[in-house]
Amino acid sequence: MLTWILAKKDLRLLLRDPRAMVVLLAMPLIFILVLGVSLGEGFGQKPDDRLRVSIVDLDQGFADPDAGSGAPKLHWSKTVERDLAQTGGIRVELIPTLEEAEQLVAGGKRAAVIVFGPDFSKQMTQSSFLRGGVNPLFRDGIDLEALDARVLRDPTQLTAASIIEQVGQVTMLRVVLPWMIGRAFEKIGDRMGFILANTLQQMFPNYDLTGKTWAALTRAPERSDDGAEVSTYQPPAGSGLLNRGAQRYQILVPSYTVMFAYFLVLTVGWLFVAEKRQGTLKRLRAAPLSRAQILVGKLLPCLMLSIAQGVFLLIAGKLIFGMSWGTQPWWLLLVVICTSLSAMGLALLVAALAQTEAQVAIYGTLLVLVLAGLSGCLMGDREMMPENMQRISLVTPHAWALVAYKQLLANPAAPNVALVLQSCAVLAGFGVGFLMLAWAMLRLDDAT
Amino acid sequence: MSEPLLSIRNVVKQYGQHVALAGVSFDVRAGELFGLLGPNGAGKTTLLSIVSCLLEATSGEALILGQRASTRDRNLRRSIGIVPQELAIYGELNARENLNFFGSLYGVTGDELAKRVDHTLEAIGLTDRANDRVETFSGGMKRRLNLGAALIHQPRLLLLDEPTTGVDPQSRNHIFEEVRRLAGEGVGIVYTSHYIEEVQSLCSRVGIIDHGKLIACDSLPVLLAQMGGVIRFRVPDDAPSLREPLRQIPGVEINGHDGPFVEMECRDVKTALMRVIALLNERQIELISLETTEPNLERVFLHLTGRALRD
Repeated sequence: MLTWILAKKDLRLLLRDPRAMVVLLAMPLIFILVLGVSLGEGFGQKPDDRLRVSIVDLDQGFADPDAGSGAPKLHWSKTVERDLAQTGGIRVELIPTLEEAEQLVAGGKRAAVIVFGPDFSKQMTQSSFLRGGVNPLFRDGIDLEALDARVLRDPTQLTAASIIEQVGQVTMLRVVLPWMIGRAFEKIGDRMGFILANTLQQMFPNYDLTGKTWAALTRAPERSDDGAEVSTYQPPAGSGLLNRGAQRYQILVPSYTVMFAYFLVLTVGWLFVAEKRQGTLKRLRAAPLSRAQILVGKLLPCLMLSIAQGVFLLIAGKLIFGMSWGTQPWWLLLVVICTSLSAMGLALLVAALAQTEAQVAIYGTLLVLVLAGLSGCLMGDREMMPENMQRISLVTPHAWALVAYKQLLANPAAPNVALVLQSCAVLAGFGVGFLMLAWAMLRLDDAT
Repeated sequence: MSEPLLSIRNVVKQYGQHVALAGVSFDVRAGELFGLLGPNGAGKTTLLSIVSCLLEATSGEALILGQRASTRDRNLRRSIGIVPQELAIYGELNARENLNFFGSLYGVTGDELAKRVDHTLEAIGLTDRANDRVETFSGGMKRRLNLGAALIHQPRLLLLDEPTTGVDPQSRNHIFEEVRRLAGEGVGIVYTSHYIEEVQSLCSRVGIIDHGKLIACDSLPVLLAQMGGVIRFRVPDDAPSLREPLRQIPGVEINGHDGPFVEMECRDVKTALMRVIALLNERQIELISLETTEPNLERVFLHLTGRALRD
C-alpha cells in the first residue's frame, strides 16, 4: 500500500515532467521519422551479393506436334530460369510485367532484363539443324530474336548489361544446343536406321547424342536444385512522404524503441537525484517506510512508464509508419516488458552512481549512446555490423532485444519462438543483475 | 512535572576521528518550545537526525515517549514530525497533493485525511492556493507548506530545523503563530535556528550547542540573567563629578567614561536608568543622547563562546 502511494506520486511527477516526455516519446518518433524518410529502399532488406538476373516471362508454352496429340505443353522459359537459378553466384528475379521491367530499366534500377516473348517455347521447340526448322545459332551465340526473346538494356549501365546478357547466352546455349542435337540425332536414327545411329554413338562414347538436355548430352548428373530459387520482384513498399509500410520500419521502429527504452536511465536518475537535492528523500526516510518500500515505490512507476513507452512506440509504428506487428503480436509485449525490466535495472545502477543531475546527464547519455552503438541500435539495423561485432554486441541487453524483435517483425512468417523466449530470459537476467548490483550500491542515507 | 517527551541522554556521534556530538543531554516536555542555538557545523542537524531515527548515535540514547530512537524503529516515526532545512516538498505537485501524499505515508486516509489536509491548509494560510503547483509559490509559502507537511499526521514531537530560512516577515509570523499554537496543544517542539531573536521570542527554554557540546541549557530568564543590560549616554562636557555617584548605583559597573561619553553595564536596566536620570537632574546636567540595550541571547552566546553566532 505504502509502495503504491509512493509509486502514484512518482507517476504523477513523471507525467508532469515535459523533459521526460520529450526524451521518452517524442525523440524516438523523430529519429524513426527522419531515418524512415531519408533511408534508401534497400535498408532493412537482406544483403545479397549474387548477380541478379531479371526476367520477364511472357512465354505461353507450346505442345510439340512431334510428341503426338495430347502431349503436354512445354515451357522452355522455365527450363532456362531453372538453369540460371542452379548456376552458382546468380539469383533469378521474375518481373511480372513488361511495363514494370521497362520502367526499372529506364529508371536505372536494373541494368538489363531478359524478356521471353509469348512464342518462346514454340520457337524453342522448333529450333533445329534441319531444313524448315528455326535456326537460333549465329556468330555470337544464340540469336534471341529468333526465339522470340530479347534483352532490355539500360544504356547507362552497358558493362553490367553485357555481363547479364553473357550469362543468359551461356544458359541459352546449355538449353538450346542439346535440344537441337538430340532432335537431329533422333531424325538420323529414324531415317538412316539403327546401325548408323549406333555407329555414331560408338564414335562419340562420351556423349549421348540423343539426350536433349546438357546433362544428358554430356552424360553428367543433373544439377541439384539446392539453393536455386527464383524470386518475384517486389516493388519497394511504402507510400507517401513517410514511405508508410516500407520494410525499413520493421527494423527502425524496434531499434529505436530499444535504444530509447534505455533513456529511462536519465529519467530515473533525475528522479532520484532530485529527491536527494530537494530534501524529500530525507523526509521519506523519516517516514515509516522501509528502504525496500522506497526503492520499489520509485521503480514501479518507471517500469510502468517504460512499458507504456514501448507499447506507445509500437502502436505509433503501426499507425504512423504502417509497420506490421507480424503474426505473433502478443510476443511483442513480452519483449517490451523484458526490455523495460533490464532498462530499469540499468537506470537504478546509474542512479546509484550519480550524485548530481549533471552527472546523471553525462553518465547516462554516454552509457546509453555507447550501448546503443555497440548493440547496433544506433545505426538502425544490427545486420549492418560485421559478424564478429554482432557476436560482441550480445554483451549488451539491447542486442538481445533486437534479436527477439527481428524474429517477430522481420521474420513474421516463421518466427523462432524459442529464440524469442531465450532473448527475453537474457533480458530479464540483465534486469535482475543490474537491480541486485544497484541495490547493493545505492545509498539513501546520503540524505541525512 | 510530566515525563519528558524527548530525553537526550549523553548522546555522542562520531564520524571516524571527527566528533559531531560530544555527550549532549537535555529533555523536552509536552507543550514545551525548546530552542537549540548554534553556529553551522555545531551538531544541531546531526542531533535532529538521531532524534528523527535517520541516524544511530555512537553512544548514548535519544528517548521519545520512553522509547529509544533507532533507524530500525518505523513505528516510533509516526510520533515525530520533521521540518528539514531544505524545502522538502514536491514543486510539481500542488499544495493539497503534497499534504495528501505525506499524510498517506503516515497511514492517514479517506475522510480523515481530507479533513486534516483542509485543516492544515487553513493553519498555514494556504487554503486559497491549495490547488496551485508549489513551484509557483513564493519562498515563504513554500516554507509554510514545508511545515504543514510535518503536521499532517499530528505528531507529538515536532523537530524544526531552521524553518524560517529565506522567509518574508508575513510568512515568518504565520509560522511563529502556528508553532505557538502547536505548543499550546501539547506538542513538544525542538526549534533550531541561526536567528537568535526568533529563539528568544518563541522558546521558553534554550540550549546552546557549539563544537558538538551543549554549553548552556536553561530557561530564557536564567540564561539572560547571566548578562546585564547596557546604558550609554552623552553629556555636554566631561563630567568627572558623575563618576563616583554612578558607581554607587547598586548593580552598576562603569565600562567606559571617555570625556562626555559614559557606558555602564547594569543588572536591571530600568532601575539603573531612573537613577541616572535623577542624578543628571539633580546636578542640572543636560542629557544629549541616551541608548539602552537589554540583555539578550546574542550577548549570552558571545559571552559563552567568545564569538558571534554568525561568525
